[in-house]
Amino acid sequence: MKSGASVFFIPWPAGRTNKLKDRTINMIKQELILRNPLRHLGFETEDILPTGGFGAVLAHAGVGKTALLVQLALNSMLRSRNVLHVSLQDPVNKVTLWYGELFNHLAGQHEGAQTNKLWDSVLPHRFIMTFRVESFTVPKLEERLNDLTAQGIFKPEMMIVDGLHCEESNRPALVALKSLAGKNGMHAWFTVHTHRHEKPGQDGLPASFSPIADLFDLVLELQTEHADVHIKALKGAVSATPATALLLDPSTMLIKDRS
Amino acid sequence: MKNKLENVRNIGISAHIDSGKTTLTERILFYTKRIHAIHDVKGKDGVGATMDSMELEKERGITIASAATFCEWLEHEINIIDTPGHVDFTIEVERSLRVLDGAVLVLCSVGGVQSQSITVDLQMKRYKVPCIAFINKCDRSGADPQRVINQLRTKLGHNAVALQIPIGLETDFKGVIDLLAMKALFFDGDNGERVRTEEIPADLLDEARKKREEMVEAATMFSDELMEAVLEEKEIPDSLIIEAIRRGTLERKLTPVMVGSAYKNKGVQPLLDAVTRYLPCPADIENTALDLDNNEATVVLEADPEKPIVALAFKMEDGPYGQLTYVRVYQGTLAKGSAIVNTRTGKKVKVGRLVRMHADQMEDIEAISSGYIGALFGIECASGDTFVSPGSNLTMTSMFVPEPVISLAISPKDNKSQINMSKALNRFTKEDPTFRTHVDDETNETIIEGMGELHLEIYVERMKREYNAEVETGKPRVAYRETITQRAEFNYTHKKQTGGSGQYGRVAGYMEPITEGTEDFLFVNEVRGGAIPTQFIAACEKGFQQSIVKGPKMEFPVTGVKVVINDGASHAVDSSDMAFQAAARGAFREGYAKAKPVVHEPIMKVVVESPTEFQGAVMGLLNQRRGMIVGAQDEGVMTVVEAQVPLAEMFGFSTVLRSATQGKAQYTMEFALYRQVPQSIAEQIAEEVALRKKSAA
Repeated sequence: MKSGASVFFIPWPAGRTNKLKDRTINMIKQELILRNPLRHLGFETEDILPTGGFGAVLAHAGVGKTALLVQLALNSMLRSRNVLHVSLQDPVNKVTLWYGELFNHLAGQHEGAQTNKLWDSVLPHRFIMTFRVESFTVPKLEERLNDLTAQGIFKPEMMIVDGLHCEESNRPALVALKSLAGKNGMHAWFTVHTHRHEKPGQDGLPASFSPIADLFDLVLELQTEHADVHIKALKGAVSATPATALLLDPSTMLIKDRS
Repeated sequence: MKNKLENVRNIGISAHIDSGKTTLTERILFYTKRIHAIHDVKGKDGVGATMDSMELEKERGITIASAATFCEWLEHEINIIDTPGHVDFTIEVERSLRVLDGAVLVLCSVGGVQSQSITVDLQMKRYKVPCIAFINKCDRSGADPQRVINQLRTKLGHNAVALQIPIGLETDFKGVIDLLAMKALFFDGDNGERVRTEEIPADLLDEARKKREEMVEAATMFSDELMEAVLEEKEIPDSLIIEAIRRGTLERKLTPVMVGSAYKNKGVQPLLDAVTRYLPCPADIENTALDLDNNEATVVLEADPEKPIVALAFKMEDGPYGQLTYVRVYQGTLAKGSAIVNTRTGKKVKVGRLVRMHADQMEDIEAISSGYIGALFGIECASGDTFVSPGSNLTMTSMFVPEPVISLAISPKDNKSQINMSKALNRFTKEDPTFRTHVDDETNETIIEGMGELHLEIYVERMKREYNAEVETGKPRVAYRETITQRAEFNYTHKKQTGGSGQYGRVAGYMEPITEGTEDFLFVNEVRGGAIPTQFIAACEKGFQQSIVKGPKMEFPVTGVKVVINDGASHAVDSSDMAFQAAARGAFREGYAKAKPVVHEPIMKVVVESPTEFQGAVMGLLNQRRGMIVGAQDEGVMTVVEAQVPLAEMFGFSTVLRSATQGKAQYTMEFALYRQVPQSIAEQIAEEVALRKKSAA
């Protein structure tokens, strides 16, 4: 974060002061991008998932799956990549609240007017679709998505699916989603709700998730230990042991700044 | 008098447009014997529902102004405020809610909780109005009360508890089961006026038992006594359940749900019973006023008829006998001949005629006691004014009034209309604080401002019908604003030396955007050493303030500007107030041009509800209008698309939406925020402004 940001402190030539505002906004943007939660896990490249690739965040209820995914989404939006957020549990209002809250926490220390402007500029990169979990089908999603892409309204590059049951019984839907993602040039992130009574298998994956783990390129797990939430890579991390443990701040659900 | 206060209910009936509010009110008035025949809202008999007193409302089948009506049910006196359903008239809804103690939230059993219901619910929350829900139109195809109850829970966060279940649905809808008495109710007679009580049909008995259990369980949260009775599996008296539900309702922690079909005359009488049982009487609600003599400290009002008078004028109406003022008395007794003071103007008036209203007809009364709603004749005031006994200086908390977002130029067609038009405008601005009017100095046109296209349209129509004023309207204009984006210096000298005494003043300093807070204009004086004599500083401020009314860029109001003056010069003889005002105006122009001014436009939050198959078309329409779609929400057969769209692009949207969706979609729109206009559009606006200027000249 520090090494990248210092570049912007080079004095600007006089007479170009009109760019000052844009510059500060870009600066905030860069700074926020550099806080990408995944960088801390040892991923240096920006897109860890290939086109059609799947990532999953596993956790018990209320630990912060959605929060983590919304942070990933915000990161993409800041880099001007379109994000399609598919929620099967929350109404649009609630999803927008998630984004608003996390963005405000993220950009909290900056001046209000600047962050508002930045918020306005990233918002068009997001589209929320909500479905009821019982009536959600992939063809339905595809139809909706086509509504958007065919009219040139929105073309997502990343998809977040919050609230889909990731189990063997849902394999056909997941496979269909994978091909949909591949066709549309997206990668997708899923939230996976794990249960306390379920004992993890040898690879650390819960029994209900293991059979379909082959569909996922990257699996992260959120674990509560005392007052902290740890993020651990169960599958697909670059190095087996990340340099340091990654923590989520339970009060803000943001990645903790360890510096 | 006091013991009777417990039997008073001031209730409102609020709901989404077309969910059947007016029909329901009509039925209530019929069963309480206030009217003797029923006319339908869009009826063929041409009479129209009694509550829609305005001709226009009859024609459009909607209710615009809230008429207050009095009726009696089981020894209870009920005052009903019929509230308008369209979002453009929310000030009316809010004003009504202010004077209500409780409300009936009418929901359509097919449409469920629609976007408008959400707005209304928010307003009820703001004024902490307890409510019961009535799921109407159970006879319509697609009726599903249980779905609506679920929506009440998920979308509005109500702890909705069914007190009734329907017997049959859609065309088979026959009556309701009262879960409290565990009886089936049927409604006989031509107009359902005879309620027949029978045993619950065998096929519904299990469901009724299950639902009753759910109801009792929800009620136990509010009564320990009831909880004990349930745990000990004793016989539970009805009164215990009623008391518990009432307590939950008053705390807004439980919403009793009733079902029925007003149009088919089913379920209305039980609803009236519920109103008397569960909704609060005026004494249950704490009302407060602000004491102007004591730094606006909050004063709790007591519903005591012996105390000094505090009354709120919440609605004006211009009738054939002069101005009719609807008031709610919060404290004391407003009697014929008593003296009252209008807190806002300080004027003392004597109460002349007092009436109780029944839609169009009225009934003379001697006094309005605390907790009651009535109307005064011949009192000159504006809505929202507080009346008190002489000697006290209380005012009811002022109500939240949004700024208008749209304006329209109007001009009378002939001389007669000219006079009538000004009469009408005078009346409307008093009735509705969101409706404003002024005369443009340059074009000499009369400009009316309001909350939406329909809002203004209705007023133009009312001018024609009620005041016989034919007016021509221009194109609706959006309330754009200008602001600056960077700091700029100015140093301007105003000098005039043409005969007589000259004018001289120099003003220097800088202007910058206000980044924090919500203030529109800030003036800071940092002049040191008397470069501008102190007596002229006020003139400088005035000059700047004159400038922000009309921005130099496109003549829209300028907001978010901080002006700092730190230097200047004056002349012993030639400097004057006038000269410094002119210098400040010049300085503003000079600085403004360098400060990169931009135009901001109002962005509306638009929520469209349409059948799923039209969702793509709806999103296309919104997208064409520079809309940013926030999201699409799946609601079974319906889809709700939420977007932020510039108001300028929303003209005529309802027509386009109707034709694109076979009339099956509806939308609501409310102001969200101001945002900078994109460059290409700003150029277009500039062209339009230039054209308008040219044509005016």
